[in-house]
Amino acid sequence: MKYLRKIHRMFKLHRIFIKQDLKKLMEYKIDFLTGAIGMLLTQAINIFFISVIFARIPSLDGYSFEQIIFVYGFSLLPKAIDHLFFDNLWAIGYFIIRKGDFDKYLTRPVSTLFAVTVEKFQVDAFGELVVGILLLGYSIPRITVSISVLNVILFFVSIFFATFIYTGVKLITSSISFWTKQSGHIIYMFYMINDFAKYPTTIYNRAVKAVITYIVPFAFTAFFPASYFITGGNAWYNIGGTVVMSAVLMAVGIFVWNKGVSAYESAGS
Amino acid sequence: MIYVENLKKEFKKTIKDPGLRGSIKSFIKPKNEIITAVNDISFHVPKGEILGFIGPNGAGKSTVIKMLTGILTPSSGRCEINGQIPYKNRKNYVKEIGVVFGQRTQLWWDLALRETYSVLKEIYEVDDESFKKRMAFLNEVLELEDFITSPVRTLSLGQRMRADIAASLLHSPKVLFLDEPTIGLDVVVKDNIRKAIKQINSEENTTVILTTHDLQDVENLCDRIVMIDKGVKVFDGDISDLKRRFGQTRELRFVPENIDIMEKLDYKKEFKLSDDDLEIENNGVSVSVRFNSSKISVERMLNYTLSKTHVKDINVTDADIEEIIKGIYRSEVKLDA
Amino acid sequence: MRRIFKIYKPFTHAGLLLAAQYRANFFFFIFGDILRCFINYFLWHAVFSSGGEKTFAGFSETDMVVYIFISFLTSIIAYSDGSYAVGEEIRDGSIAMRMIKPIRFDFAFLFQELGERIITVSLIFVPMMLGVEVYKFAVTGAVCFNIVNFILYVISLILAYLITFYFNVCYGYSAFILKNLWGANFLKDCIVGFLSGGVIPLAFLPSAVAAVLNILPFASLTYIPVMMYVGMFDVPTIVFSFALQIFWLVFFIILQQVIWNACVKRMSVQGG
Repeated sequence: MKYLRKIHRMFKLHRIFIKQDLKKLMEYKIDFLTGAIGMLLTQAINIFFISVIFARIPSLDGYSFEQIIFVYGFSLLPKAIDHLFFDNLWAIGYFIIRKGDFDKYLTRPVSTLFAVTVEKFQVDAFGELVVGILLLGYSIPRITVSISVLNVILFFVSIFFATFIYTGVKLITSSISFWTKQSGHIIYMFYMINDFAKYPTTIYNRAVKAVITYIVPFAFTAFFPASYFITGGNAWYNIGGTVVMSAVLMAVGIFVWNKGVSAYESAGS
Repeated sequence: MIYVENLKKEFKKTIKDPGLRGSIKSFIKPKNEIITAVNDISFHVPKGEILGFIGPNGAGKSTVIKMLTGILTPSSGRCEINGQIPYKNRKNYVKEIGVVFGQRTQLWWDLALRETYSVLKEIYEVDDESFKKRMAFLNEVLELEDFITSPVRTLSLGQRMRADIAASLLHSPKVLFLDEPTIGLDVVVKDNIRKAIKQINSEENTTVILTTHDLQDVENLCDRIVMIDKGVKVFDGDISDLKRRFGQTRELRFVPENIDIMEKLDYKKEFKLSDDDLEIENNGVSVSVRFNSSKISVERMLNYTLSKTHVKDINVTDADIEEIIKGIYRSEVKLDA
Repeated sequence: MRRIFKIYKPFTHAGLLLAAQYRANFFFFIFGDILRCFINYFLWHAVFSSGGEKTFAGFSETDMVVYIFISFLTSIIAYSDGSYAVGEEIRDGSIAMRMIKPIRFDFAFLFQELGERIITVSLIFVPMMLGVEVYKFAVTGAVCFNIVNFILYVISLILAYLITFYFNVCYGYSAFILKNLWGANFLKDCIVGFLSGGVIPLAFLPSAVAAVLNILPFASLTYIPVMMYVGMFDVPTIVFSFALQIFWLVFFIILQQVIWNACVKRMSVQGG
């Protein structure tokens, strides 16, 4: 009962801040629209790029155009959801710690991580979300995916956990700023590795494969779970791996974050 | 209520030589220097007291406040507030305190003020009934009505400070920490803020700890002051104590016709006074002598001075608190309460 | 010329200091960005292994790899913050201060950027060039560094930078109307990136589209310099490309001047 009340409060807070960010979006409509068009265009150009390639070859490493699009679309969903809810971690790395603004989160009777992430709802992420859904909508009927209750559940499960692979990577790298004052550049470097996940990992060499599977496991945010839905095989590795990697990263992330909070040296005197 | 014992905070500072080579060197083998920001501070605050925390810039005031509010973990020593240790079980502890940093707002920049309080209501788990009552009370004390629908970023500094103080009081904390609550405000607003703090203190028996540079704050608000300098406590006592101890201080100021004449004047030798009782400042034009009038009378002081020099101007004044505090900062005399 | 350098040297110095300060961070950002090159490298590798053909649109696999990395290098060097800087000054009104100073607004920006550029170039130009040449050596087994192509590339790169700079300053002025917040600049970068051949060589596009894009100023920013380096242009094309770059540079310098004069005029009429 107590926990239910707690969750209820959490949602209430989210609702207030989401309302705020949507209101701000309406204020800066033009900026949001041009940004969103830019986002859509970026994705459109990438898709165009893939289609230019496929105009010349029938299949890429054994994958058809539609299958590649499916993997690509899949990769956008966890990325967008993380972007939507956990964008403020970037601010931790770029300026919140450096300016000593982290103080205020420490004077609140809620977890610092919750206090930091709840106050920002990044509406820009809608672009990725929409494109991801459109690409899945285009590709699913054109490839052989068996749509069963189990698969639908597994789909949502894998999206959910894949999201926390993104969040985990950001959490660990942004926590570094508790010691170094800023780590925006480190978050960026690791975050950019996610682009590797958009294509089948089979096209990479062994070193890259090892990195994106075991070290910065973005391969589990898209290609592995997506390949389960394409081939229907190896659910334990493809989906289970996503769950495990996500749990491990979040556990490490929360651990490092908490260590960082106690090492935090508020700036100024 | 609040017990602070031998509180100490050290910061590690990496020393970096300039240039690329310096960066690489400090990356491979960092050279650290340890800075003691707060050194061995102890004090005790009973419930309902308003304690003023004063000291020059960089004295370590904010560091103490940050340790008391659970933001920083002390290097050694302990502090206990309401029977809780701030940096342990932080979430539970901060429910009972309110914190305001005058230099930066704790509110959400884009939220309307009213929304801000709804957020805090959820965060502090205040129920609907008490929230309503509390808002009515804070509205009355801090007059929030005029700007409650405006986003925080559009508020003036004075409005923002009122809003921040209200935010810190929403959950009826037992202790209120105010770090420079009147900084940058005009006289009228300062006065209103002081009145509000006083009112809350007397109506709810809230313990208040505030840091300030404004001695008006100290005189109008504080029951007691703790003065620190370079991380060390240099005074702890109430205002009357401070006045009693140093209220005997008079200041003799004069402009001699020839400043070189000062060599002939040796007050210490003449009156056999220690450094604590006499202090001379000579800026090359005028001379000011602060002395303890219980040890040496104003008359004798004047007579001696006038017998040795010709002066263009001379006067004697009572030292005000500001002077006393300045004197203490300057001489760094360690005083026990 | 000497006088100009003397007047604007402080700006260069300021830019240098600024860039030097962020040097360490810069490496991380570059590393993050360069990952995309490697993705493209693997992608094209897979493409060339999948199809039976040895070349696509005249590009061999080696050419393609060189194109990926050199176009990245080009876009890093021929990059300008002009539109952000101008947009910012217009929004906060400090551009009015520029108008009353006896120095040229565009030169002040340019020389400051040159200071930053010196650091950027010295940090990444040599390592990346070396990397590309080592790759070519590893694949072909012969040293194939072509000094003529290299010199043509450097000249074309400098022109590309200047065009980018003036183009961005001109775009920055649109802040008077568009308010140039984050969105407008993001959209611009996205479009320019594609049209300049930063994503895919223009030769891969349908020939009618490619023909138009080849003439537009964007090709001058990335595509032309890189093609010089790869050595895929014949002599007439080289001559034509340089002429085109110079044309666009002059065009944007004049455009910039016209807009600037209009601004000053408007400002003096309205009284600031």
